[in-house]
Amino acid sequence: MSEQFQRGTLGRLRLHVLPTKRFKTFAVSLFAGVPLTESGVTPIALTPFVLRRGTRSYPETISFREKLDELYGAGFGFDLYKRGDNQIVNFRLDIINDRFVSSSEPLLGEALSFLGEVLTKPATENGHFRSKYIEAEKTTVSKRIDAIINDKIRYASERCIEEMCSNEPYRLLALGRKDELAAIDGASLYESYTRWLSQANLDLYVAGDTTLEEVAAFAKRSFDLPDGAPSAYAPPTLAEARPEVQTIQERLEVGQGKLNMGLRVGASYGSDEYAALLVYNGLLGAFPHSKLFVNVREKASLAYYASSRLDGHKGLLTLQSGIEIKNFERASRIMQEQLEALKAGDFSETDVQRTKAMIVNQLRELQDSAFERISFDFSNVLSGANRTGESFIADIEAVTPGQATAAAHLAKLDTIYFLRDLKEEG
Amino acid sequence: MPLLEYPTLQEKIWHEKLDNGLDVFILPKPGFTKTYATFTTKYGSADNHFTVPGGETVRVPDGIAHFLEHKMFEEPEGDIFSAFASQGAAANAYTSFDRTVYLFSATKDIAANLGTLLHFVQNPYFTDENVEKEKGIIVQEIDMYRDNPDWRVYFGLNEAMYEKHPVRIDIAGTADSVRSITKEMLYDCYHTFYHPSNMTLFVVGGVDPEETMAQVKRDQAGKTFGPGGEIGRLFEDEPKTVKQKKKEIFLPVSLPKCMFGFKDDPGTGRDAIRYELSSKIMLESVLGSSSTLYQSLYDDNLISDSFGHEFNTGPGYAFSVIGGETPDPDELVRRVTEAMYEAASAGIPEEIFERTRRKRIGAMLRMFNSPEAIASEFTRYRHKGGDLFRAVEVFESLTLDEVNERLREHAKPEQLAVAVVRSKASS
Repeated sequence: MSEQFQRGTLGRLRLHVLPTKRFKTFAVSLFAGVPLTESGVTPIALTPFVLRRGTRSYPETISFREKLDELYGAGFGFDLYKRGDNQIVNFRLDIINDRFVSSSEPLLGEALSFLGEVLTKPATENGHFRSKYIEAEKTTVSKRIDAIINDKIRYASERCIEEMCSNEPYRLLALGRKDELAAIDGASLYESYTRWLSQANLDLYVAGDTTLEEVAAFAKRSFDLPDGAPSAYAPPTLAEARPEVQTIQERLEVGQGKLNMGLRVGASYGSDEYAALLVYNGLLGAFPHSKLFVNVREKASLAYYASSRLDGHKGLLTLQSGIEIKNFERASRIMQEQLEALKAGDFSETDVQRTKAMIVNQLRELQDSAFERISFDFSNVLSGANRTGESFIADIEAVTPGQATAAAHLAKLDTIYFLRDLKEEG
Repeated sequence: MPLLEYPTLQEKIWHEKLDNGLDVFILPKPGFTKTYATFTTKYGSADNHFTVPGGETVRVPDGIAHFLEHKMFEEPEGDIFSAFASQGAAANAYTSFDRTVYLFSATKDIAANLGTLLHFVQNPYFTDENVEKEKGIIVQEIDMYRDNPDWRVYFGLNEAMYEKHPVRIDIAGTADSVRSITKEMLYDCYHTFYHPSNMTLFVVGGVDPEETMAQVKRDQAGKTFGPGGEIGRLFEDEPKTVKQKKKEIFLPVSLPKCMFGFKDDPGTGRDAIRYELSSKIMLESVLGSSSTLYQSLYDDNLISDSFGHEFNTGPGYAFSVIGGETPDPDELVRRVTEAMYEAASAGIPEEIFERTRRKRIGAMLRMFNSPEAIASEFTRYRHKGGDLFRAVEVFESLTLDEVNERLREHAKPEQLAVAVVRSKASS
């Protein structure tokens, strides 16, 4: 793991470059993040959808996409998600290294110039976004929001978070609110976009056979950003769990029930307890040897999947399983018994050893993926932590059974959510 | 040791076919932390009617290959996941129409993990009790997929297209077929399809190829297997035309999901890889996201970003799958098929063909960053008699005439089938 990120800044843009010859591509990732707010969430969500329609040099969507095809089908896309209390827009480009093809132009330069245009030089008409693109992408975002219900696993997960975080902006979807889309037009979105660009935390990552100097030179001529210096992300607010656990049952036309639980852990990625929480989550439900898999699936044959996930950036722990509807009470009881068992320290040395080995393996494996290394590093930027793969592995190895039990006591059940069928009981 | 070399891609593969028939491939990736290994049998959900070595003809319940995959993880000493976890390895498996793949990834104790992989896949342990217990789990897996509109529309299309071929059957089977499975049936399937001569081991990552090959040889030399022999897979004749033009399925969805495609004839004696890659370029040229058709469908609100296409082919089957969510399935099918018929008669323009070829080559090279994708695709190509690392060369050698010929033979109205998943209210 001798390869290290080189750092620099370019006005408001932080640069992170990982020089490496291991990959056949250049991985480029740009994170633009702002605090998640009631008023900002929808226009910001719509922005990348409009930006991917055209740029100043390639104003027509077809010519924009033809350009990507010519760059050997560069993998271009964006993601929109919540991390901590932030709404993050993440553009990604994966482009092959010139040495594998007979290309005359330096492909990394082309790629950064393309990305710079996407972010800072969009296609415009009369000084704001093209209304044709705005209207089409409003429909697209609206359809995306509607489509969440198609995937019942995802739907149950989003609904559980929404119910659990009903008193904070985190209940909002990263895609924004459907009812606010109609009022947005080319002028209002352009205004929101320029404000967003002047306020967002901006981090540009490149991993591949290059250097910081080379990337800085390409970025300087490609990104047309307002002046300023980089800003820092604020730590997340860590709300307490409800005093009384709430149980929400929702009915839809489904065959299988989805049982989700939401817990608050009162600590986050930047906290000292994070390594112990990760081990706790591993004992509970992250792996096939974990308590949820063994007890809900293997012993009781109640489910195909039964797992837990720790969202360190927001201090949330979620449990999820798909079960026969009539087994709700039983599955819910078994899942809660596992939470109690870990609080009581009911796990073996072997369980801890296996869990640590699995987490350490994941941390080592991510070294082989350019985008995963980038994502791991960005977690530091987001949380103010200063972890390397090696230091984090040492932290995991050092977690004692007592600390894992203490972490179990941090996790407080807040919400039980059950998605079930339309049939009446009995 | 025989070596496969690919200088332009800067890759080398060590290969040996062992005395017991096992094919072993090792691709060292210097500098990589991770090692990823797949142990694959050429046996999937479509192999439900066959002759066992000895001559007897057997028809087994739907979903048995997948059931077997689940049960392989159980050993007399317990669940094999725990053994992998102790060695810091993540293990998994999956079943497709024509393959079952067991795998692990790890960053240390590679030799021990490789030994565990070879051990558990070559050591079946089924009891009446553990077979019974698995049924509840698999029924929940089936129920999960039954609520998933993407899965349902895909299998709806296969059912519409195929009259006889088992590609029309859900990989996991049905709740009833799963309940009828016994440990005796599992052993029959195991002994037929898990002979080393029907299997491939692929190891990719930070390994020493000579050492790893030696370990596998020692391991295999220490185990005894039956004589193996030819497996007779029995497929009934499949008509060229589709079983049913249109199939509708009702599930709650935000917009109808529409998948359609043309049933193709993979024929015999064709170069399977060339056939597959030329078919993919054909579809991408006409339907890709930079095509005028795509943009006009998007502008007219007939498609969303979920619109896509693929070409699926295996023993005795081949078909395109086109579609996504749409407010108007009939109109979408009409617009796309008309554009395909038109392109078939006018021919794909040279410039579009070249751009598409370039795009596919780029996508192929990007895929070579992923050990998981290499292992899976390499084995799949191998089963078709091809070589993944020569795919770029195949792309480069394709001609526009060839792709146009492919389009003319593929896009025929009588080979079209449509599947739609929609909400009851909108019907």
